[in-house]
Amino acid sequence: MKRWIIGFFILQIGVDLAHSVTVFPFVHYGMFSESFARPDSVEVFEVAVDGKRLRPADYAIYQWDMVQVPLQTLEKKTATNDYSIDKEKMRAGMERIGWTSLYNKLTINLNNTNSFMPWYRDYLGRLLGTPVGTVRVNRAWYRWTGGRLVLVRTENWLNG
Amino acid sequence: MDNRQSQPYTRDKQLLLTGYFLFYFVVFLFFSIDHRLLSQVRPIWFGYNRDLTELALIATGLPRWMIAHPMSFAAADGLAFLLPATLLGFAWRRGRFSPALGVAFTLFLGLYLLLADLFWQVHHEPFILYELLSLAFWTNREDRFYTLLRGCRYYFLYLFVSAAFWKIGRGGIFNGEEMSRILLVHHSELLSGDCTGWLCRTYAWLIDHPAPAQGLYIGAALTELAFLIGFFTRRYDRLLLGLAVLFVVADWLVMRIPYWTVLLGGITLWLDTRPRQPVMVVYETTHHENLPALLDCCEDRFPRVVVFLKDISHRNISGRESLAARWPNTTFIVQPEGKPNRVFIRELFSWLRKNRCSHLHLSTLDNNLLLFALRLCLAGNLQVSLTVHEVNEYFAYSLGSLRDWTESLAKWLLHRRIKQYTFFLPAMADRFRARMPHATAVFIPSRFYTQPPPQPVKREFFTIVIPGSVDPNRRDYAAVVRFFQQWLRDVQPARPIRLVILGNSDSPYGADITTGLLQLESPPFRLQRYSGYIPETLYEQELGNADLLWSPLRVQKQSSRSSPETYGQTTASGLTADLLLNPTPALVPEGFILPEPFRTALLPYGSALEAGVLLSRLLDDDDRREALRQEIHAAFSYFTKEHFRKAFAALTGLEEKG
Repeated sequence: MKRWIIGFFILQIGVDLAHSVTVFPFVHYGMFSESFARPDSVEVFEVAVDGKRLRPADYAIYQWDMVQVPLQTLEKKTATNDYSIDKEKMRAGMERIGWTSLYNKLTINLNNTNSFMPWYRDYLGRLLGTPVGTVRVNRAWYRWTGGRLVLVRTENWLNG
Repeated sequence: MDNRQSQPYTRDKQLLLTGYFLFYFVVFLFFSIDHRLLSQVRPIWFGYNRDLTELALIATGLPRWMIAHPMSFAAADGLAFLLPATLLGFAWRRGRFSPALGVAFTLFLGLYLLLADLFWQVHHEPFILYELLSLAFWTNREDRFYTLLRGCRYYFLYLFVSAAFWKIGRGGIFNGEEMSRILLVHHSELLSGDCTGWLCRTYAWLIDHPAPAQGLYIGAALTELAFLIGFFTRRYDRLLLGLAVLFVVADWLVMRIPYWTVLLGGITLWLDTRPRQPVMVVYETTHHENLPALLDCCEDRFPRVVVFLKDISHRNISGRESLAARWPNTTFIVQPEGKPNRVFIRELFSWLRKNRCSHLHLSTLDNNLLLFALRLCLAGNLQVSLTVHEVNEYFAYSLGSLRDWTESLAKWLLHRRIKQYTFFLPAMADRFRARMPHATAVFIPSRFYTQPPPQPVKREFFTIVIPGSVDPNRRDYAAVVRFFQQWLRDVQPARPIRLVILGNSDSPYGADITTGLLQLESPPFRLQRYSGYIPETLYEQELGNADLLWSPLRVQKQSSRSSPETYGQTTASGLTADLLLNPTPALVPEGFILPEPFRTALLPYGSALEAGVLLSRLLDDDDRREALRQEIHAAFSYFTKEHFRKAFAALTGLEEKG
C-alpha cells in the first residue's frame, strides 16, 4: 500500500513538473501563480436576455459562472478551430507509438458539430427559470482608468 | 459497525463516511441549485482541457454518444446519487465496506468529474481528494484504511504547499502588482457594472492600491506554505485545519471562488491516524468511593493508569492502605484546593492530547457537561467511557434556564459520543440498555470485596451505623428519631446501643436530627455524630465496628437536577459501596430492591415495627448474627476482579484477558 502511495506522489510531482498538461487525477494547483502583465484592456461578455442585460451581482457565483463559461468555451473553440492543435498533437502522439489506424478510427469522436446558440438560449431559460425569447451577446473591452473600468469598444457577437 | 473491529477504527470509519458523504451530497445539491448537473446542462458539445485522461475519454466516443442520447445525462446524475446511497446503505447495514461498490463508486466519480469538465469546465482541483478518499471504501483492513488516510493527508498538504511553490516558482509572489492585476481580470464582469456594493468597491480600491493587494497575495502564499510543517509533524494539524478554513473564507471574499469543497480534505487532518498509547486516564471529582474497583481493573489491563482527581478524593481514596502499595502503576494528578474545575479539565484534555492516550473514563460527570462534551467531540478517536450515577437524569432534557440549555445540548452530544457505560448496580445497567440499546452498559461494583472470613466478635456496645450525608432528600432521618423514641420506650436492649450518624450533620436539618437523638441519650443508648468531612480511614473504621448498617433511604428521590430517580433501579446509594467493605447486614426500606448477591446483606422492613423486630433479633441472638455474617461473606466473595474482567473488557473495548 505504501509503495502505491509513494508511486502516486512521484507521478503527481512528475505531472506537476511537466506543467503544460495534466493527467487526471494528477492535476496542478498552480492557479494565479504566473506573473501577470497589466492588461491594456479586459474583455467582458455582456449577455442580454429579451433586451435586459444580466448582471453578476444578481446571481450566485456559480450560476453566473454557468452564464459565462459556455461563452468562454465557445470563444476558445472558435479561436482554435475546434481544438485542432490538440487533435493534431494527439494524432502525432498516436502515430509515434504506431496507433495511426486507431487514431483514424477514433477521429470521428473528436469533433464537435452542433450549433451553440439554440442550446445556449434554452439553457439560459432553464438557469433563469423563465422562457427566453432572444439572447444577445456582446463582447466589450474595458480599460481601467480613474479607479473604474471605462468602456473602450463593444461588438455584437451572438444573437439568437 | 462490526464489534470485532477496534473501537477507534470503527469510529474513524463512521466519521469518514459521514464527513465524506455529507460533503459529497452537498456538492451535488449545489450542482443542482446552480444548474450544473449534466441533465440540467444537457450539453451539445465538449471542450478540450489539455488533460490526457480527458483526451482518451473523448477518443472513446462516450461524450459524443451522450450528446446524441441526452437521457444518458439523467442516467449519470441518477447514478451519482444512487451509487453512493447503495454504498452507504451497505456500510451501515453490514458494518463493513463492499469493495466492489467502493471500486465502482471511485471509477464512476472519476468518470463523472471528467465528463463535467468536458461539458461545463468543473475544475477538478478541489475534487481530487474526493477520488482519493473514496479509495478507503475499497478495503476492510484497518492498516490499509489508515495508510490511505495518511496518504490523503499528505495530498491535502501537498495541494497547499505546491500552490505556494508555484507562486514562488513562477514569480507571482515577486510581482508587486500581481494581485491587483489578478483582481482586475478576475472581477472584470463585476467591475464593468455599476459597482456599488462594498465588495466591488473594495476590489476597485485594491486594484488601485497594489501594495495592500499584494500583501493579501503574499499572505495567501505564506498560509499555503505553512502546510509544509504538516509533512514533519502532526502536532499542528488542528491549526492547519483552521488555516485551511481561513484560506477558503479569504478566497471566497477576495476572489469570489467558493472553494469550500476542498475542505473535505480537512478530515484527514482531523482524524489523527497515529497509534494511541495504551494508557487509561480516569477523571473523578469527589466520589472517590466509586473508584477502587475501577482502578483494580485498570491496573489489571493497562500498563499505565493516570487519575485526575480532586485533592480531597486523593487523600481519601484508599482508606487505610497506601496508594502506592495498592495501585503501583497508577499516577495521580491532583487538583489542589482553589484551582478552578475548568482549568483542571483543560489540563486533563491537554494531557490526553500530548500523551496520545487510548482511553478516558469519566467516573463522575455532574458539572461542566458542555465543556466535556465539546472537548470530547474534539478528542478524535479517544475511547471514552462514563459511569452514570443517575440514569433518568442522563436522559432528561430541560430548557428552563441557560444551564438547562447547555446541559441538554451537552447530553445530546454525549449520547452520540460515548458508547460505553458502567453502573454500580445491574438494574441500572438494564434500565440504561432499554433506553440506549446500541450502547454497552455494564455493571461493575464500586469496590471489590476483600475481607477474610469473619470471626465471632462481641463488643460492649451494639453499633448501628447510618452512613452517608445527612440529607433529607436522600434519607428519612426523622423516621430514625421516631423509631428510637418508640423502641427505647418499648424494649430493654440486651446490650447498649451505639448509634453512629456517619455523615456531616452540620446543617439545620442535621442539627434537628441530632438534637432529637441526643435527647434519647441514656445508659442503653449513645449517639456518635460527626461534623464536616469524615476522613476515609475514620469512615472505614466506623463501618468496620458496625454490627448493623441502617440506610433509611427515600427510595423515590430527586436527582441533582430534579429528575425522579429510584434507588436500586435508576440510581445507586453510597450503601452499595459501604456494604462491600465488611460482611455487615443492613436495614433498608422495603422498596429498596437489590439483586443477589447484595440481597443477602439486606434486611428489608415495611414499618417501624418490622425494623424493631429485625433489630431485636440481631441484638438478642448472637448465633444468628454470626451466621448472617458468614452468609454475607460467602455471597460477597462473588465481588472479585476476576468476575468483572469481561464487563471491564466490554467497557474499554479491549479483548477479554486470558
